[in-house]
Amino acid sequence: MRPFVLVLLASAILATAQPAATIIPSYKQLKYPPLKPVQIPEPATFTLPNGMKVYLLENHELPLLSGSALIRTGNLFDPADKRGLADFTGQVLRSGGTKSKTGDAIDIELENIAASVESQIGESSGSVSFSCLKENAAQVLAIFKDVLTNPEFRQDKFDLAVQQEKSAISRRNDDPGDIAQREFSSIVYGRNNPYGWTIEYEHVDRIKREDLQAFYKRYYFPKNARLTIYGDFNATEMRASLEKLFANWTVDQPAVPPFPAWTGKPEPGVFLAEKDDTTQTFFYLGHIGGLLNDKDYPALEVAANILASGFSSRLMATVRTKLGYAYNIGGGWGAGFNSPGLFQIAGSTKSNTTVDTIRVTKEEIEKLRTTAVSDAELQTAKDGVLNSFVFNFDRPSKTLNRVVLYEYFGYPKDFMFQYQKAIAAVTKADVLRVAKEHWKSSDFTIVAVGNPKEFGTPLEDLKIPVTKLDLTIPEPKSATSSAPAPVASEEALEKGQALAAKAVQALGGLKVLQAVQDLQIDRDMELQTGASTIKLKQTTQMVLPNHLRQEQILPFGKLQVYTDLKTGWMLGPQGNIPLQPAVLQQARGELARIPALLFLPGEGKKFQALSGDSFQVTGPGGTSTVTLDSNGLPKKLEYMSTAMAGAASQTTEIYSDWRNVGGGLQLPFDIVIEQGGKKFATIKVTSYKVNAGLKAEDLAQKPK
Amino acid sequence: MSRRFVAVAAVTAATALLAQSLADFEKKVTEFTLANGLHFIVVERHGAPVVSFQTFVNAGAVDDPKGETGIAHMMEHMAFKGTETIGTKNYPLEKAALNNIEKIYDQYDQERYKGDKADPKKLASLEADLKGAIEKADSFVEPNEYDRLIESQGGVGLNAGTGMDSTSYYLSFPANRLELWFLLESERFVRPVFREFYKERDVVREERRMRVESNSQGLLMESLLSIAFAAHPYKNMPGGWASDIENYRMPEAWQFFKTHYIPANMTIGIAGDVDPKQAKALAEKYFGRLPGKPLPAPVRTVEPAQLGEKRSGFEHKDQPLMLIGYKRPDRNHKDAKILDVVADILAGGRTSMLYTEMVRDKKMSLAAIAQPSFPGDKYANLFIFFLVPNMGRTIEENEKTCYDIIEKLKTTKVDDAALTRTKTKVRAAVIRKLDSNSGLAGELASYHATTGDWRNMFREIDEINKITADDVQRVAKEYLVAKNRTVVWTYQPKGAAK
Repeated sequence: MRPFVLVLLASAILATAQPAATIIPSYKQLKYPPLKPVQIPEPATFTLPNGMKVYLLENHELPLLSGSALIRTGNLFDPADKRGLADFTGQVLRSGGTKSKTGDAIDIELENIAASVESQIGESSGSVSFSCLKENAAQVLAIFKDVLTNPEFRQDKFDLAVQQEKSAISRRNDDPGDIAQREFSSIVYGRNNPYGWTIEYEHVDRIKREDLQAFYKRYYFPKNARLTIYGDFNATEMRASLEKLFANWTVDQPAVPPFPAWTGKPEPGVFLAEKDDTTQTFFYLGHIGGLLNDKDYPALEVAANILASGFSSRLMATVRTKLGYAYNIGGGWGAGFNSPGLFQIAGSTKSNTTVDTIRVTKEEIEKLRTTAVSDAELQTAKDGVLNSFVFNFDRPSKTLNRVVLYEYFGYPKDFMFQYQKAIAAVTKADVLRVAKEHWKSSDFTIVAVGNPKEFGTPLEDLKIPVTKLDLTIPEPKSATSSAPAPVASEEALEKGQALAAKAVQALGGLKVLQAVQDLQIDRDMELQTGASTIKLKQTTQMVLPNHLRQEQILPFGKLQVYTDLKTGWMLGPQGNIPLQPAVLQQARGELARIPALLFLPGEGKKFQALSGDSFQVTGPGGTSTVTLDSNGLPKKLEYMSTAMAGAASQTTEIYSDWRNVGGGLQLPFDIVIEQGGKKFATIKVTSYKVNAGLKAEDLAQKPK
Repeated sequence: MSRRFVAVAAVTAATALLAQSLADFEKKVTEFTLANGLHFIVVERHGAPVVSFQTFVNAGAVDDPKGETGIAHMMEHMAFKGTETIGTKNYPLEKAALNNIEKIYDQYDQERYKGDKADPKKLASLEADLKGAIEKADSFVEPNEYDRLIESQGGVGLNAGTGMDSTSYYLSFPANRLELWFLLESERFVRPVFREFYKERDVVREERRMRVESNSQGLLMESLLSIAFAAHPYKNMPGGWASDIENYRMPEAWQFFKTHYIPANMTIGIAGDVDPKQAKALAEKYFGRLPGKPLPAPVRTVEPAQLGEKRSGFEHKDQPLMLIGYKRPDRNHKDAKILDVVADILAGGRTSMLYTEMVRDKKMSLAAIAQPSFPGDKYANLFIFFLVPNMGRTIEENEKTCYDIIEKLKTTKVDDAALTRTKTKVRAAVIRKLDSNSGLAGELASYHATTGDWRNMFREIDEINKITADDVQRVAKEYLVAKNRTVVWTYQPKGAAK
């Protein structure tokens, strides 16, 4: 501990050190000279013969050039089952290279000259942009044009983008702030439309290179692009070179339709996502916002500034400065050009002040809705916007970008100045009115991510229904059966049981199935391995429940295997082969999946309905998904199989040609097996022999 | 052969161009030092009536005294609390109330220090007194007046940052508010008041919860530093440890301010639509009031040589991450610029070795990043690698591949094309830095403070142009070795959801 006297001494030194001669005015006495008028540059605008609009703005301060083609497209056009398509198209447009150059070659060429060409697609626009030193302008413009007009979408870079996207999905629950933001946005916009949905593995898996090419083709054409170039060049020369450069880009498409409008409804309530390894709760509170051209937008900005933005807002003063509850607290009225933004307040506070902080935040919003703000607050908020207005023009490039953006979204050219005028006119009554009209506390969605065990006061004390959010990331469809089984609802289990019973009935009835003791299957198989096809004959003998012997005649000899699911042997043309765990696993699956056993009830077995005709079977052989045909016969069986190489892959068996093999027992004679989405084997069963009196000890007999 | 020739030609052209840029740029720069030692750099850019400011204080977390980790950062927060005239309803009464808080806090601490022998009743009563004293002082506060004033006058980009080595305060104003900035910025260093200290202490504690405790990357960085450094204060994160934060006293922050916030230890950068003569007159009027004082001592502790590789993992539910740090010398060492080049060749951009092999071709990493200095560079520090494995790929293969690439750099000389590419990028980066007022104010102030001359921003391009493939190889061999290494990582609990 440092004695306090030292501090007093320090103050004394500082005080005496001030030269008495200098009189420092109070800030209130300062007079400000009028601000020099801002120079608003006028870009040169013209349309190329191919229909592309061009905007040029010279600036010679530094030997640099940059530019961008703005494309009317966006992830709002993603198909529901292929979410992420726009994003992939934007990325691979650049990384996948052009007809004449790979993306890697372009990387080297550009980095050699410290230049860049980039491409992306966001919610409601896409862009291909470039930046370079003046000395490399011609070279970089040529690459830019090549990327924009001739992308090749090479498969390897699409694969890379897919891998990266999947990794990002796998990490999306790591940052509590990100979780809160994502869930808030999804709940407020709704999970079933492109404004609010999330991209899952299954969507990524469905997208193919051709989809990217088609997406590109639909949106990237001259009449749908606006090209801006800024920097150290001569506009007349640039126009001439652009006319030449883009002369052969003449593709055309029908006009792009308007973006899908957002039509959702409020989803009020408290939503809790548990994350027990954080010491803070991250929360979002709010509801849908509005449009930039709403007449109330300026007043809403003022109201939201007073409430939540900057270091001098009410929330900052209360939650941070007065209570010390949060480092981070603030937000704003969200407004978009063509679709509503989000009205949101975000913050993070230690677990045991979660409820207090949310409550205080709600109270501050309510105060603004019910009591007029003070003159000083109104003045501060308006002055903040008006005095900093000049920063909208501090770089000529900002004007250029604004001109294009307003045109793109159909806003008036002078929108910025209309806004300035409207802010100046906002009154206290306006603030109160818009807060009352537009901020609806009954609509609030509140998302909290944290560790509820440490909350002290439970969220329920907010007197708003609390819904728990399940953050489990759905496994890719191609690996469903390896995923931990989700907790099944009572209803799904009941329906599953009924579907299993239906299958049992269709296969010949419970008695017939239970009577099966042993079974021999002889099959002709055609295996697809890469480009070639292998034909083989296979005989499988089973003594239920746990003995299996299989013999197959391959082009290079005979392969025999026997197992009782614990041990066994394997014999190839060259002699003994050690029995791999993967083979045991496979045998266990084969025994469990024979129709006679699969649908019979048993210990640890569970049937869970997935839809009206499909259900999941969980049991000793793993998890399988079954789809029944209208007669109740299984037409499709999906499971993960463990190949010898070790990598598990999704396997689908498709059954047809069901016949009565005796006693009413139905079994399929045609089977097609697909692995990893590709056809792997075609099987014709030549015979089924049921209860022929096979003996386990015979099956176990190893040939000499 | 021909490629080599082209490369050399390009570098020569670059140097010539650069000399030209420096000469042109120099005409826009005015420098002066006040009698008290405070240095100013003013850049004229009259394109728009706006101006940006940065105050660079050559003191940071590395200067935190023992038991007070994070106090430099706390001090930075207090710099926004106002002055004797801004933020108060009645300063004399407020001052007395603030003194009273400390008096009671001293008594409270004295009782606390007795440990088991402390009288719980007395403690409770002092705690209540303390609460009352704080409430009393708060009643004189005009909340957030300093911030409000700046924002209402059109200030944008208001913020500050505390690093290991330095602390910066930044702000931009419309050009006609030039004098207001001089007034506000000087007042907070001439007559600051550390009001609402104990509430702000809670805020700073929340900041640590947010940045470190609730974030596996934050925890991993903290783990790397605390393990890599045995003695040097780089071992503590700039935000400080929780228990230190919870026990800060206002006089400790004040002491830090008195020791380190002295004119000769500060540099101010101004860029924009400003008349340097007027700036100089205002600087003298407002900042001339700061008394000159001797410079504080630099950190005395030198990190001893590492005896061998250090490794440590910890369990965390998040997806796995790894940080690898190699001990390296400070920024003024002759090899420092070469290490910058090594980092760029390894991980700068899509043509770098780590990106092409780990991210692009082998698809094993979501990200593989190298940074030449961490957590600061004023003293010997770490050359770090940050590895983020892709889904289904392991930390182990990422680590091994990263080492294989480092070995490649040691055994195979980097080709001229790659080296030239790096040099070109450095030059273009300098030109691009000239495009923003706030960037310029910050860069020039920091170059002056850390190297003695802002011109080094241009001159270091020459220095980098002289670096050869042999230099790169030698430096990789010297520093990127297992013995110098600390490796930390996170792993998921067994059976965790993927």
